[in-house]
Amino acid sequence: MRKSFKEALASGKFLVTAQIVPPKGMDIGTLTPIVKDLNDVVDALGIADNPRAVMSMSPWGICRLVLENGGDAIMHVSCRDRNRIALQSDLLGAASLGIRNVLCISGDHIRFGDHIDAMPVHDLDSVQLLETVRSLTQGRDMAGQKLVGIPEFCVGAVANPEADPLPPQLLKFQKKMQVGIDFVQTHPVFNLDNLVPFVDQAREKGVKLIAGVRLLMAEEVSSYKDGSYPGLFIPEDLLAEIQGIKVEKSVEIAAQLIKAMREKKLCDGIHISAPGHEGKIMNIIKAAGI
Amino acid sequence: MIVGTRKPFSEIKDVVSGDSKILIVGCGTCVAVCLAGGETEVTILASQLRIALGLGGHDVHIDEAVVERQCDREFLVDLSKKKNVTDYDVIVSMACGAGVQLLSDVYDQNLVVPALNTVFIGVAEGPGIWTERCQSCDNCVLAETAGICPITMCAKGLLNGPCSGTRHGKCEVNAEIDCAWVKIYDRLAARGDLECISKVLPPRKNSRQAHPAVLTHEAYKRRFVKDEKIV
Ligand code: SF4
Repeated sequence: MRKSFKEALASGKFLVTAQIVPPKGMDIGTLTPIVKDLNDVVDALGIADNPRAVMSMSPWGICRLVLENGGDAIMHVSCRDRNRIALQSDLLGAASLGIRNVLCISGDHIRFGDHIDAMPVHDLDSVQLLETVRSLTQGRDMAGQKLVGIPEFCVGAVANPEADPLPPQLLKFQKKMQVGIDFVQTHPVFNLDNLVPFVDQAREKGVKLIAGVRLLMAEEVSSYKDGSYPGLFIPEDLLAEIQGIKVEKSVEIAAQLIKAMREKKLCDGIHISAPGHEGKIMNIIKAAGI
Repeated sequence: MIVGTRKPFSEIKDVVSGDSKILIVGCGTCVAVCLAGGETEVTILASQLRIALGLGGHDVHIDEAVVERQCDREFLVDLSKKKNVTDYDVIVSMACGAGVQLLSDVYDQNLVVPALNTVFIGVAEGPGIWTERCQSCDNCVLAETAGICPITMCAKGLLNGPCSGTRHGKCEVNAEIDCAWVKIYDRLAARGDLECISKVLPPRKNSRQAHPAVLTHEAYKRRFVKDEKIV
């Protein structure tokens, strides 16, 4: 029996999701066993859409891999690379492949990636994309035309509780909830108090908040500091703490964050990301006692 | 105003190096103000080309001219009176892209090459510094966004609030640049007008920005438009 993220959301259980970055190329040899293992323990795997604007396989490909191996997938849909026709068309294509969950995002700017002369599209922003997904699930495209066969999607948005300043970020989050979302997934959070206004507002609207947890690697400290990872804001003292540490300690730090978030009831679930080190996600889940 | 920068000298020199009669035409409006294609810049480019091509052993004759607005046919009449334009092997236009194209239309027997890259529509912040402000999208939302254009000033052109990358009020793309959405929010908050951005702004109407765009003033429609067609 295949897992259903939608059912997990409705069940009230503490949700566990993790992020998979599709490969640059066709080789899914390393990814397949990781996906199979994680499928057993997570409620869904979030499949990134060319994160940091680095060209990689379309998320559908890996979503299919997840589904074929008994898991459920959340397809990330970025506004950066497609206009409204392509976005809607791809959403219908995804639905036809059995993909039932989407996460609507603006997309990291092209300047972070490996195709810096590409055209940033942003024909829609993430709020407008959420409206578009809603419209498709109600049987109409953006132009108001009737669809023959209506897709079903469980719809998620992102927010960043570490963004500074927070009020404009909260305003956008409110707009996303106004449009109607099933869940919100946050960027990695380190100052747990920052989650409070987001989780309070989400609960008021009956939206589940899945907090981001990221595996921090000692060898990436300089990239964390120089802003190479958009939306990843790590406090100075934590950056100092992870200097030179071994991966086991990094796993421990991520696990502690999860435990603290759970204890303080600051979220309804967690989303673990460890780009390039997906094999460690299972260790984090175990160390967090989930 | 339209802001431009001069192309690298080697690029201009390479394009004209086979020609012996060159006319350099500057523009007295926007690109003169942004110190890229006015009278002084025409003189400088002409001197540079005379020296470089002369040193290369080319027998070259270079003339200079400046028209008040290269993007307006009216002003090109004056150029035709002063110069026998068809005599030249190449015309180097120091106007924005619009000026270069009008020169090419009017003197379509001549080779017209650009000496500038047109960069943006913007404002002068002070002597020698200009910033982009408008993308001429035909969809102005400045009434809602505190007079700050999110399409131009936000690196992603987002209409409904910031992305997740804002840090210390700066843009994720460039830490030197303010996040447009933080500026919009702060200006409206200070005025007690946050209501302006509380509603979801709809997607842009890109159809309005059909290229190439044509605008005919109402009062001139009888003269220029017949049966819905520009004549
Ligand atoms: S940080 Fe602000 S200005 Fe920069 S892309 Fe994001 S929303 Fe736009």
